[in-house]
Amino acid sequence: MRKYTLIIAEKPDTANRIATALDDKSSPRRETDNGVPFFVAKHESKELVIASALGHLYTVSGVKKREWDYPIFDYQWTPRWIAEKKASKTRAWIKVLSKLAENATEFVDACDYDIEGSIIGYSILKYACNSKETVAKRMKYSTLTKEELKESFNKLLSHLDFELVEAGLARHEVDWLYGINLSRALTLAVKNNNSTYAMLSTGRVQGPILKYIEIREKNIQVFVPTPFWSITAKIRIDEHIFDLEYEKKAIETKTEANNIAAACKVRKGKIDKINVKEFQQKPPVPFDLGTLQREAYKLFKYTPIQTSKIAQHLYVNALISYPRTSSQKLPPTVGYRVILKKLSNAAVYQKLAQSLLAKDTLKPNEGPKFDPAHPSIYPTGNMPEKALDTAEKNIYDLIVRRFLAVFGEPALKQSIKVSVDINQNQFFMTGYRTLKECWIEYYKPYIHSENISLPLLFEDQKVAVQKVTLKDNFTKPPSRYNPQSLLRKMEKEQIGTKATRAMAIQTLYTRKYLEGEQNMVITGLGFEVAGVLKNYCPSVVSSEMTRKLEGKMEQIQLKQDTKQNVLADTIKDLKIVTSSLKHNQSEIGMQLGQKIKQLQLDKRTIGNCPKCQIGKLVIIRSKKTGKRFIGCTNFFENACNTSFPLPQIGTIKPLVSPCKSCGYPVIKVLIKSKHPWRLCLNPNCSDKEQKI
Amino acid sequence: MKCKICSRPVKEKGYCSLHLKAYQNIYGKFVVWEKALGVTWMDYLIKISKNSLSGEWAKEVAKHLIEGESRNDKEK
Ligand SMILES: [Zn+2]
Ligand SMILES: [Zn+2]
Ligand SMILES: [Zn+2]
Repeated sequence: MRKYTLIIAEKPDTANRIATALDDKSSPRRETDNGVPFFVAKHESKELVIASALGHLYTVSGVKKREWDYPIFDYQWTPRWIAEKKASKTRAWIKVLSKLAENATEFVDACDYDIEGSIIGYSILKYACNSKETVAKRMKYSTLTKEELKESFNKLLSHLDFELVEAGLARHEVDWLYGINLSRALTLAVKNNNSTYAMLSTGRVQGPILKYIEIREKNIQVFVPTPFWSITAKIRIDEHIFDLEYEKKAIETKTEANNIAAACKVRKGKIDKINVKEFQQKPPVPFDLGTLQREAYKLFKYTPIQTSKIAQHLYVNALISYPRTSSQKLPPTVGYRVILKKLSNAAVYQKLAQSLLAKDTLKPNEGPKFDPAHPSIYPTGNMPEKALDTAEKNIYDLIVRRFLAVFGEPALKQSIKVSVDINQNQFFMTGYRTLKECWIEYYKPYIHSENISLPLLFEDQKVAVQKVTLKDNFTKPPSRYNPQSLLRKMEKEQIGTKATRAMAIQTLYTRKYLEGEQNMVITGLGFEVAGVLKNYCPSVVSSEMTRKLEGKMEQIQLKQDTKQNVLADTIKDLKIVTSSLKHNQSEIGMQLGQKIKQLQLDKRTIGNCPKCQIGKLVIIRSKKTGKRFIGCTNFFENACNTSFPLPQIGTIKPLVSPCKSCGYPVIKVLIKSKHPWRLCLNPNCSDKEQKI
Repeated sequence: MKCKICSRPVKEKGYCSLHLKAYQNIYGKFVVWEKALGVTWMDYLIKISKNSLSGEWAKEVAKHLIEGESRNDKEK
């Protein structure tokens, strides 16, 4: 019987990379079993089998009880295909991994070196490979380049990082306990106090985020603007026109503003003072995931999740280092010069990379953040094997140029502040000039060097006043969150981890608590859920509680606390939370029930009633016949009897714009395996039905 | 007791916690408006109820106050 080392990677793509890197001929044999791929490689006369997970194969799930109730504190780790309908595919993967484990003599965990990766590898070794987690070795790497993979295989760590695993297991178990108990409490409160059912859910990380957005929305909705005035002037010097601002940005009374504006109606002014300052601007720091996500949003409007996915793709193709890092460090061990040399093979980066290579010493401008598992995100210097799409190209180029820029010298800038006297009123103009670009040159086009050039000016110089403008203004309400500002807020409050933040935001959209991509608006339902949590279990939405828990998990990683302790504390806290929720169930049910009924009505609403103009047309199912039709809500007030027949099969969706021929509301009908069509409700319409 | 404007429970002065905050803002900002433009209370309420930068709840309270004031005038 053949003997081999079983290497477990996190995903099939990574397994392929590892197999190719380790195979002596760089061409491992790809095999499949039950549709599950794995690779067989020869490495210095040893046989290797490289298989992979498909993300998480195991998950936390409740110990089944007959009653659907809460609180629940009994759970276990089970195969995901048992716990989640959608994960049925993972069943075959576990089977194949178990089979491959039977004949393996050595085990290597090669999953991503972070919390999630460590749990994936650990649970496979423990549950699918018959408790091999204690004997398995660990492969640690930050890029998928051939060189690094080989080196990391030759220097295997002698055991798994159990502290990281413990911290990860604790995180999953704590999150599961919060999620299941809070979600059940909300759902049951609605179900027991209303004649309606809606699955409501929330979690440990979502609570505080929802609260931030709710607080912001409240501040916007109670906002009262106040008036203020501002004065600007246009002056001419030689043939150039310049804009000046009055020394006070905001003038508080209309009388004062009018008086100043009137006094400035003169032809000439004079330059009072010229203040020139030179200053240095340091290069940016290397990218951690959060900084990359924010920069990508600013430059390309990619959402944090999009950027994360693109970066992951670039990583799997060995173009960049591991992106889920919170490090802003770039240690010399990554090999600055090797990367720069490789980059200089690409025509676009050649000149820039060579100019850095010409330097005697290379010292990156590192940031304060540190991550024990990985350095910051940097390019490997490899060239893409396959053409990248536009988004991938953008993110790749951004990462390369950022890497180059961090080695640049500080830029030299100059600010010029000129004060101008117009009839004894002080006005200002400011100009910036970049004297030496240095690092800015490497980071173009992602940064512009602002240059407002001024002609030769001197004090007491006379200037021609062309125009003085008085403007009415109002103070503005706070702006809504966008993906970039929300992510920054979460980082600042230390909510979630770099790997989970973007996902937590996405969950709020899926649960319909949040709407709008660039301008995040909390929905009515989200508002009520946040209100309920804040009222009846404030600890759940407090940043402090979440931060404390994150701290405890970090302590597990540092061996200063244990998983058992953290879980025991969590259960203790949750007992208080759930009993408060149970105690106030009927108030909670009422508060949420109203919004849910409203939402359910909105979903059924087709449009305004064309007959009475007051009621709304809604889809109604007849209690007598079970058939559906459209009726006016005014019917219940005995005021309107408008009704329209509906097709009895298929899904019905209202269309926004009314019928072009007759102005009646229009619906879309969707039937499986048939072409969808639009239907005008007016029975006499000349344009009644149409395929879309 | 229900809020004068919405159906939420009353916190103070006949308003729910949300409309109360709006009401307090309206009261607090009046001095600024009075100083800046010399407006009367009624003028002020009309102006903020029409200002697009005012929050929805602030507008609701302003309109409610306008109605109350004109009712008082009639009674006089
Ligand atoms: Zn009607
Ligand atoms: Zn029509
Ligand atoms: Zn109210």
